[in-house]
Order: sequence, then structure tokens, then C-alpha cells
Amino acid sequence: MALGIKLENVTVGHATNITTKYTLVILGFMSASIYYKLGKKDLQRFLDVVASKMEVFVPVKSGEGFNFLKMEKGQEVDISGYVNTEFPAKGIFMPDGETLVSYGNKSICEVFDDTRRAIFGIRPCDMHAIMVLDKAMLGHGDVEGHYKERRDNTLIIALECSKAGENCFCESMETDELREGFDLLFTENGKEYHVEVGSDKGMELVKAARSFFKKSGKMSATAEVGCKKVIDTLELPAVMKKAASSKIWKDVAERCLSCASCTAACPTCFCFSLKHEPDISDLRKGVVKREMDYCMLLRFSRVAGNVVFRQHRAERLKQFFYHKLVYGLENDGKQHCVGCGRCITECMAKIDITEEVAKVREKYGKK
Amino acid sequence: MERNDTYMPMETKVVKITDEAPGIKTFRLEFVRERDRKKFDFLPGQLAQFSLMGVGEAAFSMCSSPDKKYIEISVRNVGNVTSAMFGLVKGDTIGVRGPYGRGFPLSEIKGKNVVIVAGGIGFPPLASAMEYMTKNREDYGRIWLVYGVKEVDDLIYSKRMEKWADAGRVEIIQTVEKGCTAWDGCVGMVTQQVKKLKIKPEQTVGLSCGPPVMLKFVSHEMQALGIDADDIHLSMERMMQCGIGKCGHCNIGDKYVCRDGPVFTLYELRLMQEDVW
Ligand SMILES: Cc1cc2nc3c(=O)[nH]c(=O)nc-3n(C[C@H](O)[C@H](O)[C@H](O)COP(=O)(O)OP(=O)(O)OC[C@H]3O[C@@H](n4cnc5c(N)ncnc54)[C@H](O)[C@@H]3O)c2cc1C
Ligand code: SF4
Ligand code: SF4
Ligand code: FES
Repeated sequence: MALGIKLENVTVGHATNITTKYTLVILGFMSASIYYKLGKKDLQRFLDVVASKMEVFVPVKSGEGFNFLKMEKGQEVDISGYVNTEFPAKGIFMPDGETLVSYGNKSICEVFDDTRRAIFGIRPCDMHAIMVLDKAMLGHGDVEGHYKERRDNTLIIALECSKAGENCFCESMETDELREGFDLLFTENGKEYHVEVGSDKGMELVKAARSFFKKSGKMSATAEVGCKKVIDTLELPAVMKKAASSKIWKDVAERCLSCASCTAACPTCFCFSLKHEPDISDLRKGVVKREMDYCMLLRFSRVAGNVVFRQHRAERLKQFFYHKLVYGLENDGKQHCVGCGRCITECMAKIDITEEVAKVREKYGKK
Repeated sequence: MERNDTYMPMETKVVKITDEAPGIKTFRLEFVRERDRKKFDFLPGQLAQFSLMGVGEAAFSMCSSPDKKYIEISVRNVGNVTSAMFGLVKGDTIGVRGPYGRGFPLSEIKGKNVVIVAGGIGFPPLASAMEYMTKNREDYGRIWLVYGVKEVDDLIYSKRMEKWADAGRVEIIQTVEKGCTAWDGCVGMVTQQVKKLKIKPEQTVGLSCGPPVMLKFVSHEMQALGIDADDIHLSMERMMQCGIGKCGHCNIGDKYVCRDGPVFTLYELRLMQEDVW
């Protein structure tokens, strides 16, 4: 084993405007990637082994769609027909209503959840979304400790896509491909899963159920998932900026209900509020909770004197779209929209981010 | 688990409460633990989150001199947390997290003349800056302080202003929007007073804090006086929850007021990707 050093070529922007940053990435003690095969019939047994060590979250069909739920003892995992979950895995890393601080008469402490977990079935776009959350919650100088605790204790068994969903546009956002972030990456291949090991923790999972895994080589490139929707990302921030005070946002605001379903479903929306909740039976005791909050809501930007900075729906929609397609790339070098299409699926008003971007393109040109 | 602590408030005791004006009180707070006091090393213009357990948190800028053993905040009673604070008495506890953000660039502007414009409850961070500058008087040139409120009764910090004036080369202009017979000072908006200042713009910087509309017009007037957009420093208010650049409430476009501000130059504000005022 050798200390690997990789020259990483990070391309920001698009073909005609390439800004290339070379970053030396120390990979740690890792040889070349390790690959295995796992028979599909052994998936359940593998997950049962994992579940003997930690909580395992899997996509579970409930009503129309799938959602990540904790696998119960004896539960059979059935992912037939699984494209992606209705709600993203962000709820496992920042659950709505998580207790952050607990206090009593004389004591006060922060509460952390260090439960060990594994999530099986994270799609590539959502793995990219988790990397966006990592930048937001762990980067920029301050660390959100509660997110960190859960993130550090959660293993990700990602699952490649074979077919895009109705509203997916991951190919446009370049999030259909996954090279990092996961602990294990599964790819369906006939009766087997091809398994790529992405971390030491992932390797430990394989070792724990070693008899089910067969050594394998690198897999040849998988077929395109075939997204029906597209966003032309060529110099998108520059084009979007020209549309900053466009009527487009007012028009779309006419239809928007300000329900915040889009932001609730978006895997990279992380806004929240802190809420104090005293214990009614003994007011000296209580907790501080973190509740997810949404920039689509009027109250989100309200301050004393009833001043609301984003009074109009158009301003709130604009903040959402720009955060996803402009600010992320500028601040983190990574688009915050991962093309999962959930905001389109959840919107009762049928507002579609790809259509709105197309309108911006049409009106404000290529550059 | 100390290493990941994010929202843990430090404990302070209220040691003094001053009634400044109707609906405005100043709280003097002392840290219960010495290590917290040492850790809380703030610059005028920075903010902190103040909490009453069971009620909530609110952001305030410290109004006291940064070199004191205690910290002071002046609070206007407007809602949930602030009204609960108004019910506190000496000896009660307030939690503090911070300091956060970027304050006024008081070291960078040494040697310059300074125009300060305070509106209403925007005064506290500028009062802290005044304390600092009058204590280090030789480091700064002339200082003008223009302070405006709605009515005469709303005026705060009169004693402190006398002390600052005594430091020399400090001109203080107070103005009220609605005059009365007992008031022989200026009547009108702060902008009308800023307009009249005779300054050497290339040697002068501007600092201001107040309601959004006031900041908008004050920045216009400062520019009209010839001060560079780079030398106009404005403290912005936004809704705040986390104070550490995570919750998204304080966003102006892609910027975080709690982390990147609350003090921004007019130049920076012009580049913002959202309406600022
Ligand atoms: C950097 C910074 C520095 C600051 N410095 C100071 C300072 O030095 N002094 C100071 O007094 N203030 C300061 N503030 C403002 C202060 O943070 C707020 O006044 C405070 O947070 C109000 O808290 P609250 O819980 O009392 O009010 P809240 O209960 O949160 O209510 C605030 C206001 O919001 C409106 N509101 C809330 N909920 C509703 C609702 N459901 N429906 C309709 N309207 C509603 C009301 O108009 C109410 O007045 C500062 C703010 C920032 C960002
Ligand atoms: S889901 Fe649709 S209607 Fe609801 S806030 Fe989002 S864009 Fe508006
Ligand atoms: S903006 Fe819409 S498509 Fe993009 S990541 Fe969020 S929910 Fe998915
Ligand atoms: S107050 Fe939470 S991000 Fe600024």
C-alpha cells in the first residue's frame, strides 16, 4: 500500500470558459480502487449483516413512492421499480425537529446523535447533494456539530441508476456520474451488483460479509440513464445574472403558491430555524430544536417592525433558483442543483426549474 | 462532546439594567466563567446571539467598549425574546453565543476622519465604535456623529455622548423627526444633517447603522459628499437564527450577513445579487 497523491483537475464553468484549478489531493493509505461482485440474491443477507452492526435505511415503497426508512428485523428489501425516493436522505442527517440543546434547572448541554447508520440505495445525484450539504454544514469556517456527528457515523451504500425518472436532469448537471463520497457503490449488472469500494469504512462492510463478495475488476462504463429534461448549463451563472430583475420571476410567481414543497423536497436545501421548547410540566427544563425552514415562506426573512426583505413571491423564487444555479457554483465550486427533479414532481403549480431556465436562455441569450 | 458544540450558550448574569428611553433598555452582562469572558473578544460592529432558555434567541450588537470586563446591549422591545428580556431583573441569567461576523474596520481606518450616522436602535454598534475611537483618540482624525430618532423621548446615550465630546475634535449632531417646544436642536432626517457636513472626502470614511431606508439614503448622501463606496461601511440587519452561516435566514443573495457581515462596504452591497434595502 502506498500513500496516494492524485492531481485532481477541477473544471469550473463550461467548455468555452474553462477555469481549471489543479488541486493536490492526498488520498490516504489507498491502493487503486477495489472492486467486488455481489449476487442480487445475496443483497438481503449482506444488508442483514450490516444491520447487525448498525441501523440500516433502505428505500421502502409506501403508497406511490419510495422513501428511506429504517429496515426492521426480518424485513425484506424490495427495490423493484425503485427510481429514487420521494424525499431525500437529508432527513437522516438533519432530521426536522432534532434536539440540539437540552437544559435543566442547573445544567445545560448539547445533545448529539452518534448512532451508527448505513443508507442503502442513495442515487448518484443524491450523493452529490450530500457533498453539497457537507460544504454548507462543515465548510466556510464553522462546523454544524450535529450534522457532523450524524454524517461521521453514517455509511453510504450508493446505487447507480439505470433509468432516469420522469423529471430527472442529472445528465445536465453532471451528477449522473459518481467518483467519490460513497463508502460503497453498487451498480446493477444482470443478476449481480458490481461493487466499488470507496472508503476504509466501506471495506469493513465488505469484510464483515466477505463470503458473499467475489473479487472483480473495474466495470466498463454503464449505459446513459436517458434524462428527458435538460438544463443548458453553459455559462449559466452569467446568463442568469442578466435575468436578475427579469419579468420571468414575476410571471412564475403568479402561479407559485408559496407552499415550500419544492424546498422541502430539495436534497440540497438546508435552511432551518432554532426553536426553544420548554417542558410544560417544569419550565426550568426544556430543549432547543432545529426545525427545517424554507426561503419560499414569507416569514423566513421577517425581522422586527414587520419588515420582510423578500416580500414578493418573485423575490423568494428568485432566491431559490439562484441559490441552486448561481450561488452554489460561485461559493462552493459546485452547483447546488443536482438535477433530481423533486421540486418539479412536488410542485402542485407545475413549476419546472428546467422550463424557467429555458425561458431565461431564450430571452437572455447564450452569454 | 465539547468538540462539536455549536449552539451552547455561555452563561452571563445581568448586573445592571438602564432605562434608556420608552421601550429601550440597556443590559450589562457579566460572564459567569472567566474562560468565557476571555473567549468573548469582540470588535465593535460584531454581533452575538443572546438567549433566554425556553423563550428563544435574538441577535444584538454590543454597545459597550470592547475592552470592558462586561458586555452591554441596548434592546428595543419588539417581540418574543425582547419582551421577555424586559421582564428580567438584576441577577437573572442570559445565554450568549458569539461574537460572530465582521465588525467595523477600526484598525484599517486609523488616521482617517470618520463620519458616523446612527438611526434609532442602530446606534448600539456605533456607540461601541465611538467608545473605542475616543479611547484611542490620537489614532483618528475628526469625528462627526449624526444621530437621529423619531421623537425627543427616543434619544438614548446622552451621558455617553457628553463623554465622547470631551475627547476633543468630536462633533455631535442630534436630530429628531418630530420636534417639540422643549427641543432646541435639529429637526428632520439624519440625511439633511449629513448633507451639511464640511469634510475632506478623500481623508474621510463613513460608518452607519439604522433602518434599511435610512441606510439607503445615508449612503447616497455620503457619496454625494465625495466619500468612496469602498469607504462607506454599513451594518445590515437581517433575520438571524444560527449566527454561523448555516441556517440561511440572513442571506442577501449569496452572502451571509451573520458571517460575511453584518458590516459591508457600499461597494460590496452594490455587487450583491439581491435587493439590499
Ligand atoms: C446584526 C444585528 C444586530 C442587531 N442589534 C440590535 C441591537 O443592538 N438592539 C436591538 O434592539 N435590536 C438589534 N437587532 C434586532 C434584533 O435582533 C431583533 O429586534 C430581535 O431579534 C427581535 O427578537 P424578538 O424575539 O423579540 O422578536 P420576534 O418575536 O422575533 O418578532 C420580531 C418582529 O417580527 C414580527 N413578527 C414576528 N412574528 C410575527 C408573526 N407571526 N406575524 C406578524 N409579525 C410577526 C413582528 O413585527 C415583531 O416585531 C439586531 C439585529 C441584527 C441582525
Ligand atoms: S412547490 Fe411550486 S408552488 Fe410550492 S413554493 Fe415551490 S414553486 Fe411555489
Ligand atoms: S432544485 Fe429541484 S432538481 Fe435541483 S436539486 Fe433541488 S429539488 Fe432537485
Ligand atoms: S443567521 Fe444563520 S446563516 Fe446567518
